[in-house]
Amino acid sequence: MSDGDARDENVPRTDGGGEVQETTPKRSKRFEALDKREIAKDGFVNEWPEVGFVAMESPNDPDPSVRVEDGKIVEMDGKEREEFDFIDRFIADYAINVEKTEEAVGVDSLEFARKLVDINVPRAEIVELSTAMTPAKLVEVVNHLDIAEIIMAMKKMRTRQTPGNQAHVTSLKDNSAQIAADAAEATLRGFYEVETTVGVARMAPLNALALQIGAQTGRGGSLPQCAVEEATELQLGMRGMTSYAETVSVYGTEDVFKDGDDTPWSKAFLASGYASRGVKMRYTSGAGSELQMGQAEGKSMFYLETRCVLVSKGCGVQGLQNGGISCIAIPTAVPAGVKEVAAENLVTMLADLEVASGNDQTFTHSEKRRTARMMPQFLAGTDFIFSGYSAVPNYDNMFAGSTFDSYDFDEYNIMQRDLQVEGGTRPVDEETVLEYRERAVKALQVVFDELGFPQITDEEVEAAIYANGSKDMPDRSTAQDIKAAEEMMAEEVTGADVVKILAQNGFEDIAENFLGILKGRVAGDYIQTSGIYLGDGEFEVSSAVNDPNEYQGPGTGHRLEGEAWEEKKAVRFAVDPEDI
Amino acid sequence: MAQAQQPQQDENERKLVLTDKGEAEEGTATDEVVIAISAGFNTMKDETLAGVKLANVIREMMAGIEEEGLTARVVRFTDSLDLGVIGLRGAKLSGSGISIGIQTRGTTLIHQEDLVPLSNLELFPQAPLIDLETYRAIGKNAALYAKGENPEPVPVANDPMARPRYQALAALWHIKEMQLKDEDAAPMEQEVSFE
Repeated sequence: MSDGDARDENVPRTDGGGEVQETTPKRSKRFEALDKREIAKDGFVNEWPEVGFVAMESPNDPDPSVRVEDGKIVEMDGKEREEFDFIDRFIADYAINVEKTEEAVGVDSLEFARKLVDINVPRAEIVELSTAMTPAKLVEVVNHLDIAEIIMAMKKMRTRQTPGNQAHVTSLKDNSAQIAADAAEATLRGFYEVETTVGVARMAPLNALALQIGAQTGRGGSLPQCAVEEATELQLGMRGMTSYAETVSVYGTEDVFKDGDDTPWSKAFLASGYASRGVKMRYTSGAGSELQMGQAEGKSMFYLETRCVLVSKGCGVQGLQNGGISCIAIPTAVPAGVKEVAAENLVTMLADLEVASGNDQTFTHSEKRRTARMMPQFLAGTDFIFSGYSAVPNYDNMFAGSTFDSYDFDEYNIMQRDLQVEGGTRPVDEETVLEYRERAVKALQVVFDELGFPQITDEEVEAAIYANGSKDMPDRSTAQDIKAAEEMMAEEVTGADVVKILAQNGFEDIAENFLGILKGRVAGDYIQTSGIYLGDGEFEVSSAVNDPNEYQGPGTGHRLEGEAWEEKKAVRFAVDPEDI
Repeated sequence: MAQAQQPQQDENERKLVLTDKGEAEEGTATDEVVIAISAGFNTMKDETLAGVKLANVIREMMAGIEEEGLTARVVRFTDSLDLGVIGLRGAKLSGSGISIGIQTRGTTLIHQEDLVPLSNLELFPQAPLIDLETYRAIGKNAALYAKGENPEPVPVANDPMARPRYQALAALWHIKEMQLKDEDAAPMEQEVSFE
């Protein structure tokens, strides 16, 4: 690379040929200062379209086209059916409304793009055609929008009217007591969903158990998830330890699918395994994963991601987590990458799917850049603005760090107050937080005791109540905990067993909430697109079915007012004029 | 390269030489641990993404295995770059059923033959954070699993800023390493020496 060559010119040589000449040129003090800024540590890459290292509009992206014969798509995006790879075929057969597709692909893309931001065109009218479009057509439409227009379009197109948020609750030490306490605090702060994962894979059952107990302590009806290997994750769901899954991944090229021994059909089969047992199922994709695997076929990240969105649609899952996700630092390394991740969120909405819109992984050292990156989703509102927001310090975040973390709790609340925007969290006071954390950890302590797991000592309980992160937790034996986790799976401990223990030991309220979660799986109402539970212990479902987005300009749609707005106003640093 | 003109390298900068010895076979010795390496390991690059010399990485892992009285075998997989797959297939070739899988960029895991690719014994996903001490500990733990013990997992490092700094670069490396992939190539036993 030419960069390296240039540097070599300035390195003193020790070739024995006499004295070393210092050739470093005199530096601008301004540039020296700029080089010390955090942004200088970020990775940036110039576009390389031949391999697909480009966010939007690769020269290799196909032009839209479609032809239907006998109710079947026989040509799509410039390819005849015989040339389809398995992703094309799956999309053509299962994701696109065949009856309307010729009409949808035939509309003028620019005109349709304008309708996305036209408040006089209702969402329902857009969806009728957007769900009949091919990947290349959706890409062509959205490529006409600039970022402000993408925000406007997201505001109208997200499926559920009420925006929401999701949190990560993890521990670097996989410490169960800490996870329970942090889950209680996160759900008290307003997150509708909480997601955990592991440092050590075999700890998954204990992390899921701790998360569930904490979540039902903070707010009855919070939905928990434990993101681990797919079979383990399904087992935990079936046992009632978790309520949803979202880390089943789909990809935009056939090679990446095949590398994981998967096809769209196998993913659909797995999804039905969850959904048929009342576990909410959302997929994960996001720009950059195909490049990360070196198999992007020279296509833009946006085109490949649009294929992922339609694979998800075809699989019948209720939603998708996208917006870069774990590969976020790849799109953000190239021009228009941050715009691209917002565009892929929008395409998910155009496919009439729930969207958990990223903002969940670090991609920059810069405080300003990470705030700018989440603005489109924050201002427009999405089903889950962050997926998720780290409710623990980032050093404990086992998804390798989120865009925002627990240190940003107050700033994020104040940004909602500043702009009068629903961001999905609310101000809380210290005393209440400590109360909830204590309740959660003590409940977990009893459950561990009753199940014969390694004791959670009173010292650990105390530490977990007051902890900021795992650095404040005493060490305990992971090997012993793993043994307990293995026992828990071998002895087939279920949610119902834990409910019983809680109810018999003075934690009837948490037991009641946990039971509500289990009943919800039988009823399955929250398995509708964008389904969440509102309230605390009332298990009142809000989804795209009973809370559809009806935004059509000023005076319509979700607006932050009334009780929710009063709650946002009450940030803890505010001075009351009456006190002076 | 101007390698020959460099000053005499000290002990720590010994060069790793890996030579194909023929197709790798399923081991029978229960006291061996396979180190499964990726296509471009030491050929495309001789250091990890964080600049740790692969010579030292291999030496530390082997030392960790050997200090538990076991022996290490190094096998190169060229037909897949998927670490879960490499690790699991390494474990299946290993007489003890335990392997360490490692990609050129440094991402490492400990795998066991009866697991599935994505469910390993221990995973160290953030390559730039793995130091030599950790590589040695990984070798030691792999050996302990091979002996049927249940060791405390090696502490996992977590730096939220590893992704911002290295992910795009890691993708570039991977794309280049993909060009070395050969779907028809069999796993090759490696002769390990240091120069």
